[in-house]
Amino acid sequence: MPQIFPKALNPIAKMLILAAPLLAGGAGVTGAAFYRSSYATGLGETPAQPVAFSHAHHVGQLGIHCVYCHTSVESSGFANIPPTKTCMNCHQQIWQGADLLEPVRNSYKEDKPIEWARVHNLPHYAYFNHSIHVAKGVGCATCHGRLDQMNLTRQNSTLLMEWCIACHRAPEKHLRPKSEVFNMQYDPSTSAKWTAEDFGYNGTLAGKPHPALSDPAVYDAEKKEFKDRPTSQKDLGLFLKDHYNVRDAVTLTNCSMCHR
Amino acid sequence: MKPDSTDTPANESVAPPLWRGLDELEASPEYQAAALNEFPEGATEFTDEPSRRRFLALMGASLALSTGVGCNLRPASQRKIVPYTTQPDEIIPGVPLYFATSATFGGYGQGVLVRSNEGRPTKIEGNPDNPSSLGGASLHSLASILDLYDPDRSRGVTRRGITAGYDEALSALRAKLSAGAKIRVLTETTTSPTLGAQISRLLTVFPNSRWVQYEAVSSASAREGATKAFGSALRATYDFLKADVVLSLDADFLCTGPGHVRYARDFADRRKIRQNGKEAADIAAGKRTPEGVKADQVNRLYAVECMPTNTGAVADHRLPQLSTQLETFARALATELGVMGAPAGGALSDEAKAWLKPLADDLRFIAAKKAGDKPTERPRGTTVVVVGDHAPASLHALAFAINAHLGNIGQTVKLAPSTEVTVADKMSDLKSLTAELAAKSVDVLLVIGDANPAFTAPADIDFAGALKSFTDDKSKFTFHLGQRQDETGVLCEWHVNEAHYLEAWGDIRGHDGTAAIQQPLIAPLHHGKSAIELLAAVLPDAKDGDDKLGVPAASRDPLDVVRATWRTWFAGQKRDESFETFWQESVRAGFVSGSAPAAVAPTLAKNWAADAPASPPVQGSGEYEINFRACPSLHDGRFANNGWLQELPKPLTKISWDNAAFLSPKTADKLGVMETYYEWNKGAGEHGRAEVGIVEIDVGGKKIKAPVWILPGHADGAITVHLGHGRDGGRVGRIATTPGELNVEGKPVRGFNAYPIRTSTAPWFVSAKVAMVAGEYVLACTQGHWAMAEKDPISGKLLDRKPVRKGSIEDYKHNPSFAKIPPTASAETLEINQNIPLPKQKDGKNGHHPHDERLHPLNMYNPAEVLSPGLKDAQRRRWGMAIDLSACTGCSACVIACVSENNIPVVGKRQVTRGREMHWIRIDRYYESVTADMKGAKDANAIKTYFQPVMCVQCENAPCEIVCPVGATVHSADGLNDMTYNRCVGTRYCSNNCPYKVRRFNFLTFEGNDWETDTLKLGRNPDVSVRSRGVMEKCTFCVQRLRGAEIVAEREQRAIRDGEILTACQSACPSGAIVFGDLNDADSAVARWKNEPANYGLLAELNTRPRLTHMAAIRNPNPAMPK
Repeated sequence: MPQIFPKALNPIAKMLILAAPLLAGGAGVTGAAFYRSSYATGLGETPAQPVAFSHAHHVGQLGIHCVYCHTSVESSGFANIPPTKTCMNCHQQIWQGADLLEPVRNSYKEDKPIEWARVHNLPHYAYFNHSIHVAKGVGCATCHGRLDQMNLTRQNSTLLMEWCIACHRAPEKHLRPKSEVFNMQYDPSTSAKWTAEDFGYNGTLAGKPHPALSDPAVYDAEKKEFKDRPTSQKDLGLFLKDHYNVRDAVTLTNCSMCHR
Repeated sequence: MKPDSTDTPANESVAPPLWRGLDELEASPEYQAAALNEFPEGATEFTDEPSRRRFLALMGASLALSTGVGCNLRPASQRKIVPYTTQPDEIIPGVPLYFATSATFGGYGQGVLVRSNEGRPTKIEGNPDNPSSLGGASLHSLASILDLYDPDRSRGVTRRGITAGYDEALSALRAKLSAGAKIRVLTETTTSPTLGAQISRLLTVFPNSRWVQYEAVSSASAREGATKAFGSALRATYDFLKADVVLSLDADFLCTGPGHVRYARDFADRRKIRQNGKEAADIAAGKRTPEGVKADQVNRLYAVECMPTNTGAVADHRLPQLSTQLETFARALATELGVMGAPAGGALSDEAKAWLKPLADDLRFIAAKKAGDKPTERPRGTTVVVVGDHAPASLHALAFAINAHLGNIGQTVKLAPSTEVTVADKMSDLKSLTAELAAKSVDVLLVIGDANPAFTAPADIDFAGALKSFTDDKSKFTFHLGQRQDETGVLCEWHVNEAHYLEAWGDIRGHDGTAAIQQPLIAPLHHGKSAIELLAAVLPDAKDGDDKLGVPAASRDPLDVVRATWRTWFAGQKRDESFETFWQESVRAGFVSGSAPAAVAPTLAKNWAADAPASPPVQGSGEYEINFRACPSLHDGRFANNGWLQELPKPLTKISWDNAAFLSPKTADKLGVMETYYEWNKGAGEHGRAEVGIVEIDVGGKKIKAPVWILPGHADGAITVHLGHGRDGGRVGRIATTPGELNVEGKPVRGFNAYPIRTSTAPWFVSAKVAMVAGEYVLACTQGHWAMAEKDPISGKLLDRKPVRKGSIEDYKHNPSFAKIPPTASAETLEINQNIPLPKQKDGKNGHHPHDERLHPLNMYNPAEVLSPGLKDAQRRRWGMAIDLSACTGCSACVIACVSENNIPVVGKRQVTRGREMHWIRIDRYYESVTADMKGAKDANAIKTYFQPVMCVQCENAPCEIVCPVGATVHSADGLNDMTYNRCVGTRYCSNNCPYKVRRFNFLTFEGNDWETDTLKLGRNPDVSVRSRGVMEKCTFCVQRLRGAEIVAEREQRAIRDGEILTACQSACPSGAIVFGDLNDADSAVARWKNEPANYGLLAELNTRPRLTHMAAIRNPNPAMPK
């Protein structure tokens, strides 16, 4: 029987055998790289929306507060998309006839909701809760980016589990004072004083002084004024982690924190 | 408390081991192999015949998988967010709301709170403020939410099977309702004031009309008995909180009937032994707190019954008696007690005779503390004699007489006028209606609601035939309003789909007559109409009364109609508040305060025993007594299409998806079932697939076939069959009918129909000829699944690990910590009990023994204080649970609650026979007999039954965690054994290594879970992942509720309050036998329970450190009773 392969192929076959681990490894790396690519995660993607709503205009230029529209962000796991009524609160007064707002008016007239495209998609088995993050001093911009500069809303984070976990392992890297949660321009290195709002107190004070006033770390009782807050994220974050009762890294990375 | 004690219990002789089923007693090598096997044979294999269809489906699926992944990497990216156009004020998206309403069941309501997620009802819980619930819920109330989303509910209006419009139906009905027309209205029992008033009005406006109420499982004989005893149809409610001694004559008051949830709560409170429990004075004052009672205040329950019931199972003494002998027994007891005018009884068995004296003494006297002292007289009004609805009226009258004799009337037995609208004799009314229909002497038949006599009528009343000939006559008019096109519905000319109680306004009364307003949680899914809405639309306008009160007379809106009823009632009440305040408060609270009829104090009629039968009929030789009982889960058949209830292993019998002819081992011997039983059952037995024999039951020439199930403790010489199965008429639905799986009669339906041998003269028991017939049938019984069996490595025998620790009150008084003695290593009691996580003590120590430190390096669970010393105290939680086996009645409400909360799939009978059922909670049933062998099993008098709910115990040293290769099950800092579904790859090692056998594996994408059916999707809990095939799952202590409550508490900057978090099983439990909370809170209820000496850790000798512990089942037997 004649040989199927010519002898000249022998070195190539040997090289292929030697290269097999490399190829397999390469495939793995390619796979991982693809999995983490912005194509697969959707990072930076700007889905088409039924109405070309601009956060840059409403937040950046007009200065509307986040909670004016996303009312449930402090009280629910789900930060709601505003009902059409919220849009119409203003837009039955201004820009009543704008073509751009045709779908909004139709929705209101026909009582048919606008179907917005989801920008930040978490898998079904991950139960993210907005309210607790806001309550513990995680700013909107930390995950959603500078919405005051986005004409159309785009996905700002990879939403990979490693991205979630990175913060749960070291929340101090991202915590900010509660008064700054909704602030898009917040920069920890800008010097500022503490405010009572930073130590929000739930329940009635009933004439008693605000508890923050008795904390020598934030309030100077002699001068009767709030102290400067730290300007390095590290100091600030650790201070806030302690004061906001943010739990330890092990608890925060328990599976059942997010998966049920 | 002596946890270190190794004293043996008071009765020195070593008790024989408990057993779970007859096949365990037989202990064949096949059984032992099956018990040790992780999954029953067939569970892990795919044994279905390969078919072309399936092959193509698999090929298609894999093709779709390979191409689908390539095309659509991120299907989530196409998800939409659909906000409201105008958001309702009260809705915060993502935060559920709770509404109070009342669950309808057999005409009576049970107060419930319904969780609504963005307008979709998703879970039913008991209403703590409602007197029929007190927080617990019956399994029917819990499962009724599945009926709302049942895809087989009727979806529209039909005329003779052809789709029509509601307006057409209305105008056709209006045209037929004329003054001269002979109208018949057929409903089930009705307590709704509004519906009652509407029908009464219809009867006045159309004078030739009559109202027939029919209920297959009715309390007619109780009412008749009250009429005999007191001269009027009074209705009794019982106060088990005050009752020291209870005698149940075939009454399953803990698990059936409209008031059973309340009764179970009250009864169980006298069973929970607590060191700081109620004293005698607290009980006499009617206090509900503190929880439980001191050891000398435990009540005592005697049960005389034929078919073993859950009430009989928790009784301290149980006497199996034929239903026919029950009255004889009661008469003999009355004579013994000296009840005036009690009729003479007949012959009694020796066992029954031996009961009379000590029982009568116990009802009258408190036994002396010391031997030789004279017993003191028992205070009057501290006992109860309660009789089952199926007992004859004369026995009910006799029981009222006994209660009156003991001074119970007005104390523990409260009598009030019946709250049923128009109390009628249901059976004879149905009979005359059937005659009228057959003779066509009426014009219009209007059927409303769940009354379904075409299926449930007794065999001698051919309602279906009469209705068919009536409808076939074109000049006659039949109209059906029902939630499904049942057997009666399909025979009617018109059918209109009825709204579910969660979809409509209404009102209803509870067991004690307290009314509740039912409010709609959702707009009717299929545009159904409620009975109130229909009648409001066809009744002529009210001309008087209503408009004076400010209601538009012509309003036909059901809300206005219900409000008008209560406005009228309110006007007669002289209350200070305004009507609007009253109305809002009544709707919000879920009951109308002060609406229960006032109790009356009637005197016993002189001639109460006048027409009592001389003596009960004696059976002919070769005959058996057939008992008819409502199915514990399907009731009279109305829940036949409810997958949760069908699949639920029935309380006590543990059979899922079927009914059977239940009989005792001795009767089985006599019938010749026994010999073949074990041949068939080798290796399987109660392990799911039980192949059983078939008997033919012949009642006066009418015959049915039924599979046999041998039930230890059943009265000898009797057979019990459950009604409600075998529905084959109408359009019942996909759950009740089973193409491809034939029942014992060869029909493609679930179970057999027992109605054909039930007659109107003998609706509850009858004598019959019974014979074995050829053939066998497969029943799905779950009792043998998930056995916590372990072989002794040396002897090779199965170890007895005493999962249920039980004892008498004497044992408890001798050594309160008797339950802590581990069976296999009693010398190590101290060490083993240190290994049970205990709550933090009031002195600040955490309850662990100092030795505990040596355990930490071995412990996978690292308490949070070790991890993070700076953690705030309030955040350092250790979740734990305790279950009191003294209080558990085995009713299985927790199972349904768990299914509903955690999106647990229904798998179907075929899968259950393979051991693939998914219930996270199993309720193990254990028998105790004099000797743990077949001879003991045949002694029906001595059978005792124990229940033990077992779910994941959240071991601190969890054996499952170390074997998971992918880290899908790991520990959380607060001590939960987390199960991460999205990480699980399905090796099943964890289940293999779990000594408690509480992990469940999704072998298939279970069709019962039904990924595709839209309506079922609406009812799922959005906070819990819906698991797919290949994923292991288990109890998580309702972690979604924990995390939800933690977030709220952290947001509000406070600690979680004790009792703020209720797990689904805990909140449903009618008897309050489950408690959950933080072990780091020394004042929590769970801490109190776990500090009780009766608390023990199931299999704690394995060093698993279970966070879920049980409390011993402690019974209070009367020492004077025959052994």
